[in-house]
Amino acid sequence: MSDNYDVIVIGAGHNGLVCANILAKKNRKVLICEARENCGGLVEESITNFVPQIPLSVSSSLGGLPVKYKAKSTIALSESGQHIRLVGNQHIDHKVISGFSSKDADRYVEFHDKMSSFSKALGSFMMASPPRIMNNTFSDYFKLFKLGMNVRMLGKKKFNEFARMIGLNIADELEDNFENTLLQGLIAHDAVLGSNLGPRSPGSLINLLYRMATHDNSIFGGIYEIDGGSKAFVDTLLDISNKNKVEIKTSSSVKRCITENDKAIGVELHSGEKIYAKKIISNADPRSTYFCLLGTENLDTDVKRRIKHHRSKGKVAKLSLSLNKQPEFINCDKNDLESRMVIAPSIDYIEEAFNPSKFDKLSMEPILEMKLKNSDQSNPVLDIQVQYASYGAQEGWDKIKDNYVDAVIKLIGKYAPDIQSCIETKTIVTPDDIEKNFYVSGGHWHHGEIQIDQLFMLRPIPGASQYRTHLDGLYMCGAGTHPGGGLTGIPGKNAAQAILEDA
Amino acid sequence: MNRDLRFTALKKTPFHSRTSLASRTNKYYNWNGFTVPTEYSTTELEYTAARNGTSVMDLTPMCKYMINGSDANKFVDYLVTRDLSQMEDNTVAYIIWCNEDGKVMDDGTIFKFSNTKFMLCCAVKIYNWLHDSAEGFDVSFEDATDTTAALAIQGPTSCSTLKNYGADDLELLKPFGMKQYNINGYDVLISRTGFTGDLGYELWTDPANAENMWDSIMEAGKELKIRPFGMHALEMTRIEAGFIQTNTDFMAAEDSLRPVRMRSPYEIGMGWLVHLNKESYFVGKRALKKEKETGNSERCLVGLDIDGDKPAVGSVIYNEKKEDIGIVTAAMWSPTMKRNVALASLKRPYGIKIKENIFAEIYHPEELEYKKIWAKCKVVKRQFFSPERRNKVPADLYE
Repeated sequence: MSDNYDVIVIGAGHNGLVCANILAKKNRKVLICEARENCGGLVEESITNFVPQIPLSVSSSLGGLPVKYKAKSTIALSESGQHIRLVGNQHIDHKVISGFSSKDADRYVEFHDKMSSFSKALGSFMMASPPRIMNNTFSDYFKLFKLGMNVRMLGKKKFNEFARMIGLNIADELEDNFENTLLQGLIAHDAVLGSNLGPRSPGSLINLLYRMATHDNSIFGGIYEIDGGSKAFVDTLLDISNKNKVEIKTSSSVKRCITENDKAIGVELHSGEKIYAKKIISNADPRSTYFCLLGTENLDTDVKRRIKHHRSKGKVAKLSLSLNKQPEFINCDKNDLESRMVIAPSIDYIEEAFNPSKFDKLSMEPILEMKLKNSDQSNPVLDIQVQYASYGAQEGWDKIKDNYVDAVIKLIGKYAPDIQSCIETKTIVTPDDIEKNFYVSGGHWHHGEIQIDQLFMLRPIPGASQYRTHLDGLYMCGAGTHPGGGLTGIPGKNAAQAILEDA
Repeated sequence: MNRDLRFTALKKTPFHSRTSLASRTNKYYNWNGFTVPTEYSTTELEYTAARNGTSVMDLTPMCKYMINGSDANKFVDYLVTRDLSQMEDNTVAYIIWCNEDGKVMDDGTIFKFSNTKFMLCCAVKIYNWLHDSAEGFDVSFEDATDTTAALAIQGPTSCSTLKNYGADDLELLKPFGMKQYNINGYDVLISRTGFTGDLGYELWTDPANAENMWDSIMEAGKELKIRPFGMHALEMTRIEAGFIQTNTDFMAAEDSLRPVRMRSPYEIGMGWLVHLNKESYFVGKRALKKEKETGNSERCLVGLDIDGDKPAVGSVIYNEKKEDIGIVTAAMWSPTMKRNVALASLKRPYGIKIKENIFAEIYHPEELEYKKIWAKCKVVKRQFFSPERRNKVPADLYE
C-alpha cells in the first residue's frame, strides 16, 4: 500500500496544529484528523481563562504567529474590600504590598528574585526536548549536565536553597516569608492551579516554578488574554495551516493505529476509513494514545502499569455566567474588573477546599479565578475557573451539578452582592465533560499532573520521553509530553523536531 | 481469611501428615511459604529411587494459577514468548515469560484445558503480573496454589505404579499430554510432565483427596521400589536433565537488584522458546527482536563436562589466559552417567564459539582444608541425561 501522507496528526489541538505546520513547512505532506467539529481542542475559552505567551522559538519556527496579547493584572479579592492588586512589575507590586505590610513588601521582592532565578535556570530545559538517559548518548547527558550547571551556577547558597525547596510545599515557604494571609492565598492559588495538590502537599512549590518558567519567569506577570479570544488564536493557526497546505479532516475520530511489523503505518477512523502515512503523531493524552491508538494487546505489561498509574484526574471546572448587566464587585473599579480576579483568601481556605477533593468529593467553598468578558457591553460574561472540582466526583456530577453552581454563585455573592440578579444563563464544564467532549481521559488540563515524577524525562511515562512512543512510527505531541500543558506550543514544536531527526 | 499475619507459621501442605511420617531426618525447608522435606532418609537413596524405581514428591508449593475467560487463549499467547496459538486441548507446554526489556522473569508449564481455561504452574509468585498484564483482555485469575494438591511421581516404574493406583491406559499418554481420571471416587488430573528428565507424571487433585492419593500410590508402588524424595534429590536429577532453576541458574528479572544480572532467554539457552514470528505481540517482543537482530546477547548458559570427579560447585570459569569468563551455577558428580557435570553461565563468545580450552577452578573441601583443582572443561549439550524411556509411547511397564 502506498503512503498517502508523510505524516498524520491525530487531534487538532494547538500542539497538533503547531507540530503539523512545522512539518508542513519542511515539505511534509500532513493530514490532521480531528474528532470534534472544531479545531483548537482545550484552547477553547470554555476551558481556560488566561494564557502565557507563545515562546518566540515556537512562533518563529512557524514563520511568525500574528497573535496579539493583552497583559493582565491580578486582583486578589477580599471580603472586606481590602483587595490586593498586582501587575507583575516588582517595583509597582512592592508599593502595593507595602500598603498592607512593609515587611511583606520587602520579602516579596526577595522571594520573587529567588524564584525567578530558579525558573530561569529551568528555562532552557523547559523549552528543549528532555534528555533520555536510557539512550546513553553524549548529547543526552550533556543536557542533564547543563541543567545541573544552570542551577549550580546560581552560586552555592542558591543551589542549596534550590535543593531545599524542590520538594517543599508552597504553604511552608509562604508562611515563612509573608504575614498577609490574602497575599499568601494568592500565591498559593497560582501554585496549585490546575493540579491535584493542596498548598500543603509536598511538591506544590515546584508547580509554581514550573508555571513561572512559562510565564515570563514572573509570579504575577506573563498572564495574558488573546486579542479576539481563543477563536482568533485558533483561526490564526488555521490560516497558517491553510498556507502551509496542511489538510484538516474534522469530525473524524481515530479508532486505532494500523500497524505492520510492529510499526505504525496509518490510522483507522471510527467510520472504517483507513489512511496511511509514514509517521503518526498523537496529540491525544497519553492514556488514550497508549490504550486506544496503540492498543493494549501491543503493550508490554510494564508499560501498561505505567500508563495505568499515570495521574491525570482533572480538578478544574469552568463555569460561564452570561449576565444582563455588569455586577457590582465591592470596592472594585473598572480596571479591577478587567483584571484576573482571584478568590482564594488564605492558605487555609485553599487547603479546606482541597481536602474533600482527596476523596473525590466537592467543596462548596472552592477557589475561583474569574474573568469578566465584554465588561463594557450590555451582555457581559463572567468566566469562572473553579478549582478542586474533582473528576468523577463521588456524588455524581449529574446529581450535584446544580447545587455546586449555586454554591459558586453564592460564594461570588460575598464579593459582588448583586450577582444573583445579573445572571441570565449558567453553563458549567466539569472535568467529566472535558473528558467526554474533548476526548481527554480524566479531563485534565495538562493531560497529566505536573509533578516531579511526571516531569522532564519522566513525562509522560519513563521510556516514552522525547515524544516517541513504544511503537515505531508513533509519536506524541500533546500536553502529556514535556513540558506539559498551557498554551505554549512547545510540545508540538519539539515533537516535530523529533520526527525530523528520525526521518 | 482472618489470620493474624504476625504469627503466621509456614503452611503445611495437604500431604504433610504423610510426608512428616515418612521423614526420618526431620529436615524441612521453606518452599514458597510451605514447609516441605529437603530429605526423607538420605539424598543418595532418594536419587537412586528416582532413577531406578518410582519417586514421589510433594509439589503443592508450586504456584498454580487458573486462567479463565473468553480471551484466555489470546492472553496466554501474549504473556509468554512461545507461540501457543496452535496448542491443543489437554496438553502441557513448557514456557518462559519476560518483562518489557526481554529479560526472563520465570519459567513454568502451562496446562491447556480449552481455549477459555488454562492452568499456569511456576516457581515465582506472579498474580500481580498476571493481573496487570490482563488490561484489555477478558480473563480472570484464581490463585489455586492452596486449593490444588500436587504430587510428582517420577522414575522408570512410575507408569506401572500409577496403573496399579488406577490410572488405566496411562502408558498411552504422550509426553506433555494430560488426562482427567476418576480414581477411588475422586478426580485426578495426570500430566506426563516432570523435573527429573525421566519418565514421570504429575498429579493434581483437590486437597481433600491428598492423603488417600498418597497412601494409595505408596501401596501401588510397594513392589516397584517407590520412595518419597526431597528437594536435594530433585536438584540432582534436574541438573542431570539440564533443566534450569529460577534464581539459581539465572536471576528472575523482578528479583534482581542489579539490572546487569537480568538475563534474556538467549542468555540462558531458552532462545528456542522465543517465537519472534508469532503474529501477535507478546511481552518483551520488541526488546527480544532487537537483541536477536543486533546479536548483542552477552552471556550463555551451557553444560560443562569437567575433568576429574570433584564437583565444581560455585566455581569460577577461566579461559587459557586465566581471564574470568563465567561461573558455575549448578554442579554435581552424576552417579548415573559417571560424569562430572555442571551448568555454567559464560560470557560470550565462550560457550558459543569457543568451546574448548576453558578451565574450572574447583575448591574441594577435604577435612577443613581446600584442595584447589584446576580442571579442564568441555562445553557440551546441557541435557546430560535423557534416556529413551523418557519419551517412549507406550511407556515402559514393570511388574
